[in-house]
Order: sequence, then structure tokens, then C-alpha cells
Amino acid sequence: METETRAPKDVLLALARQKPALELGSTDVVFLAALHLRGSRSALASFDEPTLVDVFEEVMTFVDEGKSRRRATHAIRRLRDQRTLSRVDHAGVVRRGEFALTRLGTAIAEFFLDEDALTREALTLLMRTLLTSLGGIVAQGAALVHTPEAFRDAVEAPLRVTVRDLVSGIQRRQRGFDLQQEELRHEVGELLRADWFGAVERCQELLDATGRTLRELGEVILRDTHAAQGLLQDVQDLAASAGSEPSVDAARAVMEQVDRVAAWGTARQRAFSEYYQYVHRFLRDVVRLDPSRALTQRLRDQLGGAVGRKFSLVVAGEAPPWLLRDGPPPRDDGPPVKRPKKPREPELETTDEGPDPREVLEAAVTAALTEGVPTLSALTERTTRDTPAEARFVAAGRVAEIAGKLVRPLARAERAWIPTGDGYELEEWTLPRKGVAL
Amino acid sequence: MSSPRFVRLEDVVADPLFPDADLALRRGRHVDADDLALYTFLTEARPYLEAFYERFGAELVHKPDGYFYLLPTSDKLGKRYLRPIEMLVGQAMALLYLDPRTVEHGGTVTRDDVLGQLASVLGTDDLVRAFFPGKKKIDERVAQEGVRARVNDAMKKLASLGFAATDREGRTKLGPALLRFAEPARLSEPSEAVLARLAAEGELLVTGDEHTFDDDDDHDHDALDDDGAADATSPTSDPPEATRAEHEAEPRADEDAPTEDPPVDHDLPGAPSDEP
Repeated sequence: METETRAPKDVLLALARQKPALELGSTDVVFLAALHLRGSRSALASFDEPTLVDVFEEVMTFVDEGKSRRRATHAIRRLRDQRTLSRVDHAGVVRRGEFALTRLGTAIAEFFLDEDALTREALTLLMRTLLTSLGGIVAQGAALVHTPEAFRDAVEAPLRVTVRDLVSGIQRRQRGFDLQQEELRHEVGELLRADWFGAVERCQELLDATGRTLRELGEVILRDTHAAQGLLQDVQDLAASAGSEPSVDAARAVMEQVDRVAAWGTARQRAFSEYYQYVHRFLRDVVRLDPSRALTQRLRDQLGGAVGRKFSLVVAGEAPPWLLRDGPPPRDDGPPVKRPKKPREPELETTDEGPDPREVLEAAVTAALTEGVPTLSALTERTTRDTPAEARFVAAGRVAEIAGKLVRPLARAERAWIPTGDGYELEEWTLPRKGVAL
Repeated sequence: MSSPRFVRLEDVVADPLFPDADLALRRGRHVDADDLALYTFLTEARPYLEAFYERFGAELVHKPDGYFYLLPTSDKLGKRYLRPIEMLVGQAMALLYLDPRTVEHGGTVTRDDVLGQLASVLGTDDLVRAFFPGKKKIDERVAQEGVRARVNDAMKKLASLGFAATDREGRTKLGPALLRFAEPARLSEPSEAVLARLAAEGELLVTGDEHTFDDDDDHDHDALDDDGAADATSPTSDPPEATRAEHEAEPRADEDAPTEDPPVDHDLPGAPSDEP
């Protein structure tokens, strides 16, 4: 109870400082279970040393042989070291000791003996006791609501001890029932493995029996937890009226426990229902339709051989339709900010150079030929008249080239070389007028 | 006696469940009793929907094992062929579905169970060789990781097609539709004859002995649609390879389209996660 008032972190820290450990072998566990059974059957609250040795020797007949006397002493000391067995007489060495199982020892023994599985009888008994206790608390609380001390003794203490122990007892038995469920599943699997078709009836019986148990438990849990919650609500109201905050907290804690009990019932019902349906379908669709397990064998052969890799199943594969979505329009943030780029190289300056001198020369040659200049020398003299002296030699060559393209010079066996006025000579051609066919 | 839920096709189409059922079927989903609402709807609407889908060149199939699926019988409706790796994993899952040990876990398995089943039937070395053919030297650790990843992907794809489902604990719940993989083994007649008959019925495609698992797009999810199966529009000797290029040209599924939760990965102890 004290741990609930402390923060979990503090509780765990304190536990860690104690360096708790538990080391029990199978002989130790069987010894604990044997002590638990001896105590419950002989109504013994504690055991003297001869009884302990006697029980241990009995255990050794199941698990081991030889030197039991010496090993009994070791086993008792080991159980005391593991805090599963404690001395309760405080007589020290004066006389032989009296020993009892601790809570831990009892819990371990009960866990392995699996006595705590929830049955309808156990649940009904616990629930009735719980409801009776709560009814008594409500009646006493109502009478003592104006005397805080007496109210706390009549309400808070029973809530923290009696009622919580009862609900914890239910929860412990629920865990036992969960273990039973696990074993049932294992048993169903084992039955089918051992006797495939022959196990159908037995599996059916197991499932039906468990289904009935769960249904009954569910009914009891549903009915009684509802009643318990109502009574706890009354206790909480009374505690609030009496101004007893600890009693309110204690009632709330028990309500949460009762809620967990109810949730467990619902969850197990659903889980078992799914399992029940699945196994029934398995028995119907697989076991009954394949009593000799021939399909399994053929499928194994198919997978292991060539056949299993020679075919591909066909499934529909319609492309999903495009779905147009309503979405926000894209934001218009304007053009991105840019820094003006500097050209890597300065642009070339363009200058107007006027008409092409070759074209001008060609036009002049054409015009002169059209007018009927008779010779190349006359043509050259006329068209290069305005050309500077240093460029006139090149210009004369170009005139001859253009003239050669435009007209065909008249053929002569010997062409005379005629000096020009600027210190050059040229081979004289006689030129026809342009456009005149020769 | 209660009046029937549907009197005309119009009633079926007007039902709120029709769009979900129709889309699921057209995408290749197998619907079993675990999807109770859709399964009940299809059971009650079956007489009308059979004629409805016939006009699309498809057959609404209801198997006695307890599941529905749509089987394209012409080219009007798109069809896919399961990839070789999916076929192997599907057959292993079908074996587990028939295994009484699976009953212990309520019909659920993990990836390790599937890998164990494949290894027990094929042998570990053959399994790795089957997944990495033509590779003379391959690091054992890399190969095993590759096999795990590919089996995991295949299980996800098969789950998206309704052959299995993922339960609350992240285990894979096997569905009765897995018995489709066992269809050629149903009868004791020669498997070649059964395969030929099923191929003629359009249930499957006989791919020949050539079988490649080393296709690079096994992990290329861009080359797969949301259902995770390779698309095919015409039968080929090797459907997965032959149809990859065609599939890549298809539009992707809309992101708003309803999708299932991806199955949770079960990693081997110490194995790296396959999740991206």
C-alpha cells in the first residue's frame, strides 16, 4: 500500500538499490510446490525442520536420489536465501526452527501448481464476497459520514485491504485462465498433428467446453462488475461528503481494478470468439475436405518440384482511376529575385563599314561591260580609277576575275601585254559587250 | 422470411459498400469472411454482380473455401500475373495454412515461419540458389538478407491482394484465398493436365521451366503499382520481365486512393530492418 503513494521511479530506484535476484532450480521449485501442498492439505501455517526434511525427501524420490539429508539442509538454506522460506519462531539456536513459505514462495508454488485458474464457481464466490464487503462499507460509511476518524477506519481500511485483495484474487485467477487458454490452443494443435481427421470431435468438444466457460464468466463479470461499480460510486460520494480524500482515492483505485477485470472479460470473449470461428472453419474447410492430408502432400511436391515454378496466378489489375483533388492554388510569389549577370567578356563593338568593296567593284565592272568597254585594260583603267595606288594591283586582278565570270573574252592566238598607267602590265583581252552572245 | 436486400442491380450499385467492393475486386483483391461486411455484401449481391462483371469481360468467382475474386476473361479489364517469387511464397503460405501447427496461433504466421517452410521444402542452399540464379559466388550473409527482404516484400504484396492480412500484433493472418495456390494440387490427376485445364479457364498462366528470381525490380517499388503485382496485358513466356517496361509507363495510383495499412515487418533477431 505504501508503494502506491510513492512515485514509480522512487519505488523502482529503491528496488534497484536492493539488487534483487532470484535463482531457483527445478528441485527448488518442486520443493516449494510440495511445501505448499503439504501446508494446504494438512492445514499447517508453518513447518518444523523434520517436516521440511520429510517433504524434501519425498521430493527427491521424484527428481533425484542419494544424500538427501545433507542436500535438504542446503535446499532449505537456498530457499531462505531466495526469500521464499522464512523462519517464524525467532528462537535462534535455542531450539529447532519453525518455517513458513513467504508470499513470494507461495506465489511461485501457486503459479506452477496452476490452482488459480478462474472458474465460474471461484469467480461467483469472489464477486459475491466483494459485493457483500462493498455493501457493508457503504452502510457503515453512511452511518459514520460525520465522524472522520471512524469513517476512515470503516471505509478506507477495508477498501485498501479486503476489497483490493478480493479484486487482486480475481485478476490473479484471470492470469491462470489465460495460461489455460494457451494450453488449450496448444492441445488443439497437438491433437490435429497426432490424429488429423480423428481429432475433429475432440477439438470440437474442447472448443465448446471452453466457449461455455467463457460465456458464463462473461455473464458473471458483466453483471457483478456493474453492481460493484455502482457500490464503489456510492462509497466515493460518501467519502467526498465526509471530506476524506484518501477514501476517495482508495475507491477510485478499486474502481480501476474492477474496470480492468471487466475489460479482460470483454477482450477474452472477443479473442476466443475469433479463435473459435477460425478453428471451426479449419476443421470444416481443411480437415474434413482433406481427411488423408493428400492435398498437403501434393502441395509440398508441387512446391518442391518443377511444377511449383511453372505457373503464375492471374489476378485482376485494373489501373486505379485518377482522382482529382481539391487543393489550394499554387502561391504566386512573383519572379525570383535575381542579380543581373555581368557578361564574362565585353561584347564586340559593331561598326558600320558601308557597302562591300567587292560588290561595288562587281557593279562597276558590270556597268562598264554593259556600256561596251572593249578591252580589259580600258575596263581596269575605268573601274580602278578611284582606287588607291597600293591597292590597285589587287583590284586589277579582281576586275579580271569578275570580267572572266561575266563575259567570255574573245580568243586570240597571241594576247599582248599592255602597260597600265600605274606601273603594271596586263594581258590584253578583247571583251564583247555584256549580254551579246558570241 | 426476411425480404432480400437487393431486388435490382440498381439497388446493388446504390449500396454504400459497392464502391469499396468494386474497387477491391478490380484491383485483384480476394475478399473472404474476415472482411465480413464486404463478404456479406458480395454474397447477397452475387446474382446481380455476376452479370454486371460479365459485361466487362470478367467473372466474379466464389470458391467453396469461402472467398470472392474477380477473374478477367478478356482484355477489357486489366490483369496481372503474380511474379515467380510471389508464387513461391504464396505456395509456402498455403502449406502453412493447411498446417495444424498454425492452428495453435489462430491461423497467424510470421515471416520466419514462411522462410522456415520454404527452407524445409526447398532446402536452404536451393532456396538461395533459386533467388540468386547464375551467381556462382555470393556472400552467405548477403544472400540470406536478400532472401529475407524479398520474401518480406512478397508477403506484403500477397497481403495487399487479400491472400493474407496483418493482425493487431503485426503477425500475418493467413486467408482461405491462399488455397488458389494449391489449386493444381487439388486433384490426383497429372499436374500438367491440371495446369493446362486451369490455363484454359484463365485462372493461371503456364510460364514454362524458365524461372528467374533475379529481377532487379523486386525492390523497385516505382515499377510496381499500389497492389504490388506486376502488370501484364498479354500472355508471355515470362510475364514479370516482359511487362515491366509496359508497367513503368502506366500512371501511378492516386495518393488519395484508399490503401491498406502496410503489414508490419518481423525482423529476424539481429537482422537489419527491411523497411526503408
